[in-house]
Amino acid sequence: MTTNKIEIKDLTVNYTENRRSFNALHNVSFGVADGEFVSVIGASGCGKSTLLSVLEGLYAPAGGSVQISGKELHGTGTERGVVFQHYSLFPWMTTKKNIEFGIKQARRDIRRSERAKIADEYLNKVGLSGFGGKYPSQLSGGMQQRAAIARALAMDTEILLMDEPFSAIDPKNRVILQDLLLKLWEGDGTEPRKTVVFVTHDIDEAILLSDKIVVLTAHPGTVNEVVNVPFDRPRRRDDLVKTEEYTRFRNRLLSLLYNDIAERIGGDEVVL
Amino acid sequence: MTFAKRYLRVTHLLFVILLLIQLLPDRSTKEVFTGSLLTFAVAAEVVVLAVSAFIKNEKSLALLLDIAGFVYVVLSVWSLATAKFNVLNDLLFPAPGKVIHQFVDDRDKILVNVVSSLGTTLKGFLLAVVIAVPLGLFIGWSARVGGAATYITKFFSSIPPIVYIPYGIALLPTFKSVSVFVIFLATFWPVFAGTMSGVLGVDKKIIDSAKVLNVGKAEMLFRVILPASLQQIFLGCNQGLSVSFILLTSAEMIGARDGMGYYVKYYSDFGDYTRTITGLLVIGFVVIGVTFLFNKLQNRLLRWKA
Repeated sequence: MTTNKIEIKDLTVNYTENRRSFNALHNVSFGVADGEFVSVIGASGCGKSTLLSVLEGLYAPAGGSVQISGKELHGTGTERGVVFQHYSLFPWMTTKKNIEFGIKQARRDIRRSERAKIADEYLNKVGLSGFGGKYPSQLSGGMQQRAAIARALAMDTEILLMDEPFSAIDPKNRVILQDLLLKLWEGDGTEPRKTVVFVTHDIDEAILLSDKIVVLTAHPGTVNEVVNVPFDRPRRRDDLVKTEEYTRFRNRLLSLLYNDIAERIGGDEVVL
Repeated sequence: MTFAKRYLRVTHLLFVILLLIQLLPDRSTKEVFTGSLLTFAVAAEVVVLAVSAFIKNEKSLALLLDIAGFVYVVLSVWSLATAKFNVLNDLLFPAPGKVIHQFVDDRDKILVNVVSSLGTTLKGFLLAVVIAVPLGLFIGWSARVGGAATYITKFFSSIPPIVYIPYGIALLPTFKSVSVFVIFLATFWPVFAGTMSGVLGVDKKIIDSAKVLNVGKAEMLFRVILPASLQQIFLGCNQGLSVSFILLTSAEMIGARDGMGYYVKYYSDFGDYTRTITGLLVIGFVVIGVTFLFNKLQNRLLRWKA
């Protein structure tokens, strides 16, 4: 048996809000293999973002363990690159400076001049060449997320954590960004793929990108099921969505996600 | 812009009216220095015309013309009320030409006093900023004492700094140092409070974003928290700066040997109201100049804001 890059075991997280503590995640266990793309989906409030903050090292769990490359996780670390939904970039630094700053933090051995070169290279990869001198406020939401992805990739971390990175983007640009991420992550096969944990509430996004999907159930957040995505890579959205297999798989995920909600509401006549 | 839009403006008509008014006979018993007024007005008009020839932005042109127009109207009314019809007491209200003449005559003395006032302000102000900002960052970031510090700051900043003057005089050796001390206090509290509220208001998402990049303690304070609270810091600085000028000129009127407040007070004691008004106007221009430069700096440092 191969050891997983990320191993989550019986993870329990409590959240305190207005002096009331509640159980956000309860006994969550799953593993992410090296080079695997795993999405975590679930209805809002199921604790999927909490799960990611634990992996980011921003939130300490109440119980259970998280191991990264066999070592217990303690706090933040630059072996993990992070893309948030908002404010991944510092608004007072230009796009390029933001990327250079990320490189400086993650790869201490790289010189300043080299950092600028790498930053340009990744700006180019995400289609932002020529925008390096702009401040985030001068870019559209989609372009800001491109820059955030460029920074995370330029940091060349083994693990990428993405917390609903495309949720605030308009539908058309979201599709473009998903395709870009898919292309960049799949690569041309010459380099090992990064290990990714991707949080989303968009089923199609999860299927397109992932090797494996973790479906969470809310109150408290528990793992409902871990589903392997049965489609070959490299994937292309157009080919994928046309197949009957895709529709069947998507329906299965939908029922996993929403049966749970239907039960909770207490009726079986809930129309979705 | 068309020729008419650029040059056929009311402001230039106001300029001509100002000139025509000067053709009226003088009725003041005092010397009115019409030549000085004319030189000033013509020079101003030449500058306005030269700038309007090159200005690209229609709004900036309108702003320039409005200000120039206002100046011409003030000079017209002023010279009608003094030199031309002598309806005001000509000891208390010198003619505009006389004030301009006095300014040119006194330029060296005025320069010395302006430099002295600016030096004092700058010393107190910069000292306060250099201490208040890092302290505010540090205390605001140590959230445990952040709350208490807010109340303590509220208490101290509610004491009008001018009441420190008598104590300052007892405490410090020279009057200059008292002025610096009072300006320091007047700037310190608003800048400190602004920095703290800036730090406490920094979006948690930005802090998380910095944390996952593993930034060090000093870097977190000066490369993340500082820029993220810069707008609030500037708010405090602006407040400190405007209070500083009020305090400085008041302090200088009490016991200083130089500075613009001293200039105004000294000559009004002698009944030299031409110099008094000259001094008032100079103070106005100095404060507006400093505020302008300070705003430029602020816009430059906050250019990344949407």
